[in-house]
Amino acid sequence: MEEKYIICEDSLEGIFTAIYDAYALREGHGHIHIQVGEEDNYRLFAAYVHSQPDAVKTDKVLRTVKDRLGEEVYGSLCRAAASYDREKGDAVYHTVVDGITAGSGRRTMENLRNPYVRKTFELARRTANEVHHELEFIRFQELEQGVLYSKIGPENNVMPFVMPHFSDRLSIENFMIHDEKRGIFGVHPAKEEWYLVSDAEGFNPQELRWSRKERQYQELFIFFHKIIAIKERYNSRLQQQMLPLRFQDYMVEFGSNE
Amino acid sequence: MEARILPQMSVMDKLKILADAAKYDVSCSSSGSSRRNDGTGIGNTVAAGLCHSFGADGRCISLLKILFTNECIYDCRYCINRKSNDVPRASFTPDEVCELTMEFYRRNYIEGLFLSSGILYNPDYTMELLCETVHKLRTVHRFQGYIHVKAIPGADPRLIQQTGYLADRMSVNLEMATADGLREMAPNKHRKNILRPMRQIQNGITENKNELTLYRHAPHFCEAGQSTQMVVGALPESDFQIMSVAENLYDKFALKRVYYSAFVNVNEDRELPALSGGPPLLREHRLYQADWLLRFYDFKVDELLTVDRPNFNMAIDPKADWAVRHLEVFPVEINRADYRLLLRVPGIGVKSARRIVAARRFGSLTFEDLKKIGVVLKRALYFITCGGRMMYPTKIEEEYIVRSLTYQNQMGKGERLPFLMDGTTYRQISLFDEEMGVV
Repeated sequence: MEEKYIICEDSLEGIFTAIYDAYALREGHGHIHIQVGEEDNYRLFAAYVHSQPDAVKTDKVLRTVKDRLGEEVYGSLCRAAASYDREKGDAVYHTVVDGITAGSGRRTMENLRNPYVRKTFELARRTANEVHHELEFIRFQELEQGVLYSKIGPENNVMPFVMPHFSDRLSIENFMIHDEKRGIFGVHPAKEEWYLVSDAEGFNPQELRWSRKERQYQELFIFFHKIIAIKERYNSRLQQQMLPLRFQDYMVEFGSNE
Repeated sequence: MEARILPQMSVMDKLKILADAAKYDVSCSSSGSSRRNDGTGIGNTVAAGLCHSFGADGRCISLLKILFTNECIYDCRYCINRKSNDVPRASFTPDEVCELTMEFYRRNYIEGLFLSSGILYNPDYTMELLCETVHKLRTVHRFQGYIHVKAIPGADPRLIQQTGYLADRMSVNLEMATADGLREMAPNKHRKNILRPMRQIQNGITENKNELTLYRHAPHFCEAGQSTQMVVGALPESDFQIMSVAENLYDKFALKRVYYSAFVNVNEDRELPALSGGPPLLREHRLYQADWLLRFYDFKVDELLTVDRPNFNMAIDPKADWAVRHLEVFPVEINRADYRLLLRVPGIGVKSARRIVAARRFGSLTFEDLKKIGVVLKRALYFITCGGRMMYPTKIEEEYIVRSLTYQNQMGKGERLPFLMDGTTYRQISLFDEEMGVV
């Protein structure tokens, strides 16, 4: 049968809607692929279908996934869908198919012999690792009004995963995290729920003003960071291996302060 | 003794002295405790712990690691703050410690506080200061992040008890593996004074667990358990002695972690080893690897070392060393071997072993699958079969395998150490080995 590509928006909603559409075709799944974002190199002898994100369809897929595959598998699919990798749509789609057809339920992610499951597993792990790193390496700076501000530039879309952590930890603080690669903001008003802002026209980081004490604490920490190392054990290779340069670019102790 | 607290000393000056003095304590972890924020202050804790930065030595920076004071009435030979040393002295006030912790924590620089101290006047006085500081941090500032406090040997048990209800983890440093060693290195410390608070904390934790089963909202006592550290390479103790002590501490004192600290001769004490090649990092690394084997791989010390073979093989890691001396057990069939046996295969860690056991339910695994699962095949290939076949024909011979697995392997295919070995110098280490990494 002719290969069929469903083109969808780069979001969890986009991918889940496309999965719904793929099932709705009732043509089996072997020849159907989900492609995230616009194709720049169309193939001959393949059909292309566009899928528009749809809340109702997303919700149906989401409920089926949670029911049949469990919360943990759902979590993995979400993390894979947040990946930078363009092949994520197809991987997530065929992982769902594998889990549902084989009836492997909660064990779906364990079937690492299936290349799609493996891909999803790898993408999910990669996102999870980056989320973990951001929980560790995010640096907040205090603005004049006492708001904490942090700028990040992650490879994957980690925002939905890091915000819950900081919202709990810094519950009584006003803070925001700014993903400069995607132009999105996670905003947490003190003692309230956090939310996502994706349209911030007119926001200019240059206009932010740091609080009076901000520099003082940065200096104290930079100093602490330097002094805590044992000179007989210096090992910059290990330091860089544990803390990749792409994170260091955003950290005060490595000279990123503005 | 007079406390020389200079009023004009800035927090920066104090931090310089008191962080510098604390850096030789290696217990840095912020793990073992899991607590949500209650909405009245900042902070929570994460079971696996978080490392917020890495220093120039590649060691993790998780907690604000400081001494309350580096004044000390003791004269331990390995310690930079010993009484007889002429070093600048400083002491924080409880408020200064609280403010630093809170402001660092808000900015996500740290996961919490690690508070240790020299002995000011006497153990009780010092322990009271530590307790007061932590009490203020928890009650006035409503800090709910991680706190690790040292129990001062010889302090009133009631003070240690009080502190334990405020801290996530407490530790008493054993310092030396043997009682004789301790007497030689730290004439003012006694083994029994160290083991007493250790036992007290252990009992406190056990009682607290019983309390918590009865009353869910009872206060927690050292939720993240207790740890200790031993200095390695200052005295001629064998690895067997050190590891046997560690095993005992895990079994009899229920410690969460034992840390090993490669000796650095900070005092240039002539009677202590000069260690021209730097601190014994490779030895320290082997001890940590063996420690992992005890805690996660179901090994016993007497399987790894004996009185006749009291030290680890520096050329290969302890697990590979065990494997080549037990070639009669291998090769094991990946699709059938039980979990415990899989754990004994070099190149298979806890995570890969779990994944293998889970994935083979869906059908038999191939070498390609193993690679994807995360098995380090270049190490494992001598010890495993998949579907009855080895990856490729190879000699099953101790000497040959050791040559392939050692970090000295010229082909670049041997063990990867977390530091460079240039000639005699070992530079740096971490607790994370690709295979041993258990999170």
